[in-house]
Amino acid sequence: MSELRKALDWGKLAPLRLRAKTVADGVYAGGHRSRRRGAGIEFGGQRSYVPGDDLRFIDRHALLRHGTLLVRQFETETDRTLCLLVDASLSMSYRGEDAPGAKYAFAALIAAALCKIAVGAGDRVSLDWFGGERTIELATAGGREAFERVVGALETAQPSADLKSDLPALERAVARVERRAGRGSTVVVLSDLLDLPEGAEVALGSLGARGKTLTVARVLDPSEVNFPFTGPLHLRALEGEARVETDAAAARPQYLAALEAQAQRWSERLLSRGGSLVLLSSADDPVKAVRKVLDSVGGFA
Amino acid sequence: MLGALGVGLFVAIPIAAHLLRRGRARERDFPPTALVPAARSVARERATLEDRLLLAIRALLIACLAVIGATPFVSCSRLSLNRSAGASVAFALVVDDSHSMRAQGAQGGVRFERALGAARELLASAREGDAIAIVLAGKPARLALAATTDLNAARRALGDLSESDRSTDLEGAVSLARTSIASVPHHDKRVVLLSDLAGAALSEGQPPIWTPLPELATPLENCAIFGAEQRGRRVLAHVACTSPAAAAGRALSFVGEKNGSPVPLTPRGGIQELGLDLDPKLEHPELQLNGGDALKGDDRCPLAAESAALGVLVAADASNASAKTGGPPVLEQAIGALETSTALHPIALLPDDANEYRSSALLLLDDPGGITPEARSALTAFVERGGVAVAFLGPRVEQTPLGATLEPFVHGAVHWEAKDIGDVNAASLAWLGPEAASMQDLKLRGRAGLSTTDLLGGRILATFSDGQPFLTQRELGRGALFTVALPSSVEHGNFPLRPAFLALLDFFLSEARTRRGAAQSVAGSEWTFSLGASVSIEGPRGALAVHERARATGNAQKAATPTLAGRYALRIDDKPEERVVTVDPSEITTLPQKPPETSAQARASANAGSVDASPELGFVALALLALELALRVFRRLTRERTVAAAT
Repeated sequence: MSELRKALDWGKLAPLRLRAKTVADGVYAGGHRSRRRGAGIEFGGQRSYVPGDDLRFIDRHALLRHGTLLVRQFETETDRTLCLLVDASLSMSYRGEDAPGAKYAFAALIAAALCKIAVGAGDRVSLDWFGGERTIELATAGGREAFERVVGALETAQPSADLKSDLPALERAVARVERRAGRGSTVVVLSDLLDLPEGAEVALGSLGARGKTLTVARVLDPSEVNFPFTGPLHLRALEGEARVETDAAAARPQYLAALEAQAQRWSERLLSRGGSLVLLSSADDPVKAVRKVLDSVGGFA
Repeated sequence: MLGALGVGLFVAIPIAAHLLRRGRARERDFPPTALVPAARSVARERATLEDRLLLAIRALLIACLAVIGATPFVSCSRLSLNRSAGASVAFALVVDDSHSMRAQGAQGGVRFERALGAARELLASAREGDAIAIVLAGKPARLALAATTDLNAARRALGDLSESDRSTDLEGAVSLARTSIASVPHHDKRVVLLSDLAGAALSEGQPPIWTPLPELATPLENCAIFGAEQRGRRVLAHVACTSPAAAAGRALSFVGEKNGSPVPLTPRGGIQELGLDLDPKLEHPELQLNGGDALKGDDRCPLAAESAALGVLVAADASNASAKTGGPPVLEQAIGALETSTALHPIALLPDDANEYRSSALLLLDDPGGITPEARSALTAFVERGGVAVAFLGPRVEQTPLGATLEPFVHGAVHWEAKDIGDVNAASLAWLGPEAASMQDLKLRGRAGLSTTDLLGGRILATFSDGQPFLTQRELGRGALFTVALPSSVEHGNFPLRPAFLALLDFFLSEARTRRGAAQSVAGSEWTFSLGASVSIEGPRGALAVHERARATGNAQKAATPTLAGRYALRIDDKPEERVVTVDPSEITTLPQKPPETSAQARASANAGSVDASPELGFVALALLALELALRVFRRLTRERTVAAAT
């Protein structure tokens, strides 16, 4: 692959750091609730008392009513880590004619904006990859420095690698995220879900287990969403060996139906594992895209 | 030029690109390719259909650019003038309208029409400022349009030209063409000869001759009847053939004759005479040649109602008017030498009956000793009907018997002055031509004194050096009477031995022919009539125009020139007459000559078969470009509508 082809097309989405801050500020301006303000006082559930628990948290009402020692738990005690898993396979480098930048650039912007928001809320952030070159995995960390590191890693990474037949690589990435994400953490996967190996749905779906919140944001190029081509086409996949000669008008309905069916399949699979699927286009307003992800996460912001 | 035209090979580039791309769209990256269904046949078909129009436009565009690059050196079949540094040109178009130009050309079509077309093409390439003269090469050579810069006048003059059966006068036409553009101020002058070159050899000269249609100068296989004379119950036909092959297998017969047997032609080229028996039942007999050849129009010839030969009566005393070496009188010998087709009839006495003049057109009377009243009456009737009578007065004018006079030539007594006298004033005979100069240094031993006589309204055409009349003319009816003050005998001087004597006889013959009208003449020969005569002529293609013209001798007369062979019906002073016009045999037997050696300047003209088509091609290229742009815009709009509908 030539160097030219490897160069990522950031388009209008650069510079990432400034754009991410702007997007995050836009999300804040839209209204949010701070988790810090009620931290440690919001009821998070009960559990049986074990010796050593702080007696202040014994639920006396339950003791008087049921005669059982229960300890009240508060949300400040749960793991609110944001685990970002970004798809840096070769297909993410695609940019159509009407897109402001490559799919990876848009995914990186969303990831950076989420990171900014999370860090701003006092949460910690980790970053992992599947596919790509010069990728830097970042362990869970918080604070302003974490945002800078995440942005730096996102800017350094280069979409690459054909994952079409490399399920182990994906499983390794999922395993890393599972190790970092504790119970209650939020896992956001940013991918186009294209050209992934067989079993990718199972592997990514497993991230929603054990009390984690899983959101898969599917980032597609506008041309992938609309299929705006006309006339004769000779298409070539970026990953795998797929090549198709077709006519745009004849192929469009079937393609859109196949894309819809694929999204539906992913959505059902994720839903069964407690996760959710968010559909994004790289031509979307990044602020609205981040809000869609936050809404899907359900209370992260 | 070749290099520029070589650019045209780049037409292969879009074609090759089309072939490479045909059925295969440009490959593009698309990650979800696996979700796109294949539709190969549809894609290939659409690509072929959509690209074909663009391919044609681009190929044409490149071809146009190549031709524009090669212009103005690109050649085509259209004639045009080559200009040195764009300067104006003076050119004389010599259009051959002779009989041989009515033949079919090598590439089909009549030669004359091809010549006219070439003339129009050359005229179309003329620009404002060019001078054009048009000369016709049918005999006699004529100037149809004097050198002018009025191109519209030249176009009108060309439009008025029509084919004819004249013989060819190439040399005269070329000379006339050179003269016609000699006085124009243009530096670049050319003579364009549009002819089959079936004529006399052309001499080199300036401006040089350019023959842009050498294909016309191809030999023909043709036979023609160029005359048919009735001799009693027999008909003598004259046939000319170009070659033995043209004469082989052909025969002569009367049109509409059922029982007669055709007379076969001798298979040889040249002129041959054939005799046929005339069926008296035939009205307006006409001869025809069977078979076909290059010129069908001359395969038929009407028979003149009477003998076509010009009848000449010669009244001369053999004892006085003959040469010392013997033989017939000088007049008879001279007439025989001048024209072989005349019917010479020597007579001893003037006829007393006008009917005896019926077959004659000219009376030559040598040294008359008086004319009796009966003979005078018959002679007057003969002249009034169009005859020409010439009296060569000699010593016998003083021996006029009682009752006889020299009327109607002169009135009164004429005296013979037997003494050495001076010469004839050659200047007064200048109208005769260059032969008039031979009348100097005459050794005359006498002359008839006409100064004291009454010329009866006649006029003096020539005088002696002392001013005495030498030749007088008196008009009488349709004819004329000429009186010469010298006899034709060599005993009284050497006048009959001078070329001017023959020229004078030729003048009398010509007068007789034009006044009486030969029953048969060659196309292009002029018929003349007296000014007061009422003349109407109906020819093969309708009425023939009769116009007035001035003569060299000073008086005016009416004239008409039949240019087409065939039978002509004339009414002269309400008297019907029939004449036959034939083609000149030399028009058949003369083979095309080689085009004249082309000089450098003529070669420059000969290379002028080029056309500057760049303006037209430029517009075509622009139109093609606009068409391609329009097509691309249309496609883009269509694609955008499709995308909008899809999204």
